[in-house]
Order: sequence, then structure tokens, then C-alpha cells
Amino acid sequence: MPERAPFAGVLVGFARELRAAGLIVGTGDALTYCSAMTPLDPSDLVDLYWAGRATLVSRHEDIAAYDTVFRRYFLDEGAPGATQLLLPARAVAEAEAALVMPGVEPGPPKDEEKPVLGWMASDVDALKHRSFAACTPAELAALRRIMTRIRLTPPRRRTRRTRPASAGRAPDMRKTVRESMRMHGEPAELFFRQRKTRLRPLILILDVSGSMADYSRHLLQFAYSARRAAARVEVFCFGTRLTRITKALEHRQPDAALEQAAQAVVDWDGGTRIGQSLDTFIRRWGRGGLCRGGVVVICSDGLDRGDPELLAAAMERLSRLCYRIVWLNPHKGDNADFRPSTLGMMVVAPHIDLLLSGHDLASLEQLAQMLPALN
Amino acid sequence: MEYPGTVRELTDGLREGSYLADRGLATTLLVALSLHRPVLLEGEVGVGKTEVAKVLASSYGRKLIRLQCYEGIDTNQALYEWDYARQMLQIRALSERQLADDQAVDKLFGPKFLLQRPLLEAVQAGDQAVLLIDEVDRADDEFEAFLLEVLSDFQISIPEIGTIKARSRPVVILTSNRTRELHDALRRRCLYHWIGYPTAEREVEIVLVREPGAAEQLTRKVVRAVHRLRELDLTKPPGVAETIDWVRTLGFLGESELTPQAADDTLGAVIKDRDDLDLVRDNLAEITSGA
Repeated sequence: MPERAPFAGVLVGFARELRAAGLIVGTGDALTYCSAMTPLDPSDLVDLYWAGRATLVSRHEDIAAYDTVFRRYFLDEGAPGATQLLLPARAVAEAEAALVMPGVEPGPPKDEEKPVLGWMASDVDALKHRSFAACTPAELAALRRIMTRIRLTPPRRRTRRTRPASAGRAPDMRKTVRESMRMHGEPAELFFRQRKTRLRPLILILDVSGSMADYSRHLLQFAYSARRAAARVEVFCFGTRLTRITKALEHRQPDAALEQAAQAVVDWDGGTRIGQSLDTFIRRWGRGGLCRGGVVVICSDGLDRGDPELLAAAMERLSRLCYRIVWLNPHKGDNADFRPSTLGMMVVAPHIDLLLSGHDLASLEQLAQMLPALN
Repeated sequence: MEYPGTVRELTDGLREGSYLADRGLATTLLVALSLHRPVLLEGEVGVGKTEVAKVLASSYGRKLIRLQCYEGIDTNQALYEWDYARQMLQIRALSERQLADDQAVDKLFGPKFLLQRPLLEAVQAGDQAVLLIDEVDRADDEFEAFLLEVLSDFQISIPEIGTIKARSRPVVILTSNRTRELHDALRRRCLYHWIGYPTAEREVEIVLVREPGAAEQLTRKVVRAVHRLRELDLTKPPGVAETIDWVRTLGFLGESELTPQAADDTLGAVIKDRDDLDLVRDNLAEITSGA
């Protein structure tokens, strides 16, 4: 219909705005949006809204961004409404983090200040992007070369899928019948199927707080190479709050990937709230089944500013949800009979299946070696 | 019965089947019906994702074909399988001379020995069916890739028979609980809708539609209590299904008031986790207070 043409332009323009806001909207999706309006009333804003949401949005996380753009584009409203659309869970975590902030004002960015590797967790909820520039290029390159060599292979488990095998419990009926056709219907030979095995998922939860700052850069590098080495890897970072950086690490270029990951994490070098972060992890991802049957590797020194009871409860729940928990504590060092001295470590100790140090490359290699045998 | 052409008719149609769809869901379904696209429904547990497919089928006289996904599901369980036992018997029953005949073998791989599984059934039923692919996130990603192929063309190739193509497309509804990220390719083939928790007013309406015998006063109190439960920091917040269960349980026990005692006795209908139970029991008086 020719009179529809200008209207289609409006819809396509909306799709373009969404794309600019970071949603993945293909030309095909915009087309679908246009045809979706056919049975509906294009002058009705509610129809416009829902048809667009059904056709242009494909994941729950994008709905807030869609709402903002819709408001701006069709209702000519500014961004202020957007702040109310934050996920409640996140808002809660932020509110709590803000509550404990002491009377110290944020002040100028303290990038130069050396993070004190001490036994005092920092109270400052530092909302700044930690740059990788501090690492010399040669250093980075050398690290990366070595780290890409590390292959992380989580233990395997049997799946419900089967494959043809020379021996096994379940007969391969399809093949047996087919073969018996050659023998004039005489089932002369029995064929079998066996269950397949596959790698367990691997979940890395990395502490990027102040007391771990010296290690967090290596950890991120490690997370990147792990993500490229094993099949199903999820990576999270936490300081005072938890951030999922799996998507950010997907980039093909290591530097770009690490840059993106660094951008995604907002609380570099801040305080630590392990209990709160693990709790968020369980609620938002763990409970949904992300770590079910998987190996969870947590890297932290256990210097927790939060409630130890919350940490204990979260660890207990986590240990029931996943298959094995590995804890990397850089303060363990090469000390074989290391005794955890922080309250956090003592609380989590009963739930840990394997405690390693992870303070240098050698110990990360040790992790890679021990991982496949975690059965 | 034909599918409706407007959002209002569709909402009314679903309401007759005791399902209250909000504007967003009804619009998404209507668009899906007119564009012949699958719908991907995500949302909290127990908000009626599966139910909408059932009601859509029953309200418009379509056959509901359900494919429940689980880990390790493969083509034998989703598409078709040969009835090997019958084939074997058939072969034994045939004499050697009969077996030498080409047609005898062809018959062995004919429709008579073909066991139809949900996807093949849906392809053959065409628009006379509503295909519900439930909890697609539970299947492994190999299966998802295969599903993609079926959903885009609605044709299935069986080596022994040939290609079977759907004459018209069935309505397809996929549900997911987000235990695993679905592939973008699958998402892109579908219309997407997120079903959240309804407002209190709406939830009362839903409960009364699903459970016509329930007392309105009690229902209001229960819904208020459930909303308070959702505000608590529970590991598993109760869904609408739990609200209906709770009202039903209280009704069965002949309770007309939601007293702390009655709530305590029937808490198992809404709270399904031990840690949550402890937390709720501590705050029971506050939760059940009618304010």
C-alpha cells in the first residue's frame, strides 16, 4: 500500500534508533515489525509498543533499553524515566553498597594511589575504570603468549545422548534391523550404543577488589584464554557487586576483549563483598541452572567486608548447586600447609573441594593440570 | 474455528478458556498468528507460559502437540522412530520368496511402521495443531540447532520415505526458563515475549477465573500475602500457579480467613524451599495481616 510508505519509514527509523542504543536489530526484524503492524492499529501507541517489543527485542535484558528508546522516539520524552527501569536486583545491591560508604567523599580519581595489598579491605566503592595501560606492552604480550598455552579442560560427565559403540548396554535397534535385512531378516549380529560424555561447564568468579588488584589483571587475562580454550565457560567479576563479563570476553582480539571486560566492571580496586556477590550469583544465574553440574572456580583472598553469615549461606547453597568448587587464594602462595587466617576464608573452607594459590603462572598451570581429574 | 483477527477478540477467546492474557501477550500472539512465526515465551516460574498454549489450542479447537524438552532429547524422540519390534516380527512372518520381492522391503519402511513423534505430528497436522515446545532451554544446544531447521521450513526428511512438508504452518509456542542462554539464531526466528508477575488486582482476577469457587475476600488476602512474599528475599518466589494452589488448599480445608495459623498449616502450597520456609515463618504475622 503506497500510503503506508511514510509510516514504514517511521518504523524503520525506530529500529535504527534501537540499533544505536545497542540492541541487535537486523533489517529482517524491522521488516517483521512493519508486517506485524498490518493486523494492528498503527495509530494506537500500545499496539506500536507491543508489536515492536515482540519483534525487535529478543532478550529480557534489552527491554529496559527498548522502553527508553520508545519513549524518546514516539513520545518525545527524555531519558529521566530510564533510571526507574533499572533491574530491581541491581538497584538493591547498589543501595546497600552505598549505605556502607563511610563519610569519605569520592574526591578526585585516585588512579595514582597504589592499592595497598593489605589485610584491610578497602571501604571505597570505587566507581572507576581500571586501565590496562599500567601494564607494559611487552609484559602483556609475554603473558598472553604463555596464557594461551594453558588449556582448561573441566572434568567430563556422561550425557543422556548415545552414540554407536562396539559394546554397551543399550542395543542399537536401528542398525540391527538394517543389518538383518541383508541376512534375509535374520538378526545375526547385535549392535550397541553407548552414552556420550561431554565437558562440564566451567564458571570463573574473579575478585577484582583493592586487595586483589595485583592479581586481577592476570586473572582477567587468564579468564580470556580460558574462555577461548574450553567449551562452556562463564566469567564473572566482583568487588562490591557482581558483573557478568562472559559476553565482553567474546571479542576475537584479546586487547579489545579485555578492554570491553574492563569497561563492563565498574568497581575495580574497590572494597569486597564476597557474600553479597555470591548471593547475587546464585539468585540471578545459579538458581536458573547456569552452574548445575559445573565446576566453579572462585579467585579471592577472602577479605570480606560483608556479613560472614551471608557468605556462609551462599557458599553452602553454591556447593549444593554445582559439582565442585575450586578456590584460588593468592595469599596461599607456595606455602603447602597454608592455614586461612581471614574470617572469610575460614567461613568458606568447609565447602571448598580444592584450594590452590593462583598467584603466578605456575600455579595457574597447576590448576589447568588438576582440573580434568576433579571427578 | 478460525483464529481471530483483532487483539480484543483473541483476548476474549482466551478468557473463555479461563486464561487472562494482558495486552502485550495478546498482541504478540496475534502477530504470531498472522505472520506464522513461532513465539518464544520467557518469564518467572509459574506465570502461565505453558498454559497459554494449552488454552489457545482448546479455545480454537486445535490439537495441542507437546514436545517436552529434556537433556539428551534427540531426533528419535522428537521427530520419528521406526517400530523396530514390529519390523522384526514382520520380517520373520514373511517367507523368503516374499522377502525377495522389492515391495515387501519398501512396505517395511512405510507409514505402517513409522512412529510419529511430536514434531512430525505437528508438520502433518499443519494449522490444525498448536505445537508447544516446552522448556527448550533444557535440551542441549545440538538439539536447538536441529529445531532451528524444522522451525524455519517445517519440513522433515526421512531417508526411507522422502521429504514431508507441512501444507500450512502450525502455531508454535516455545517456553524457556532461562537456565541456559538460547542461541541468537533461534531467538531471531521467534517473536519474543516476557511474562512477568501480574499486578495484585490482575492476580485476583486470574485466581477467580481459574478457581471460580473461591471466596473473593479470601482470594484478595491471599494475593496480598503472596505479593508480600515476593518482596521478601526468597530463593524461589511464588508464581501465580502457587497463588492458585494456595487458594485451592485453603478452600479445601474450609478456611475462610487467612490467619497466621491457617497460613502456617498450608505454607507448603506456596513455599517450596527450606530456607525460605524458615524466613517466612519468622514473618508470618506480618505477611498475613490484612493491611
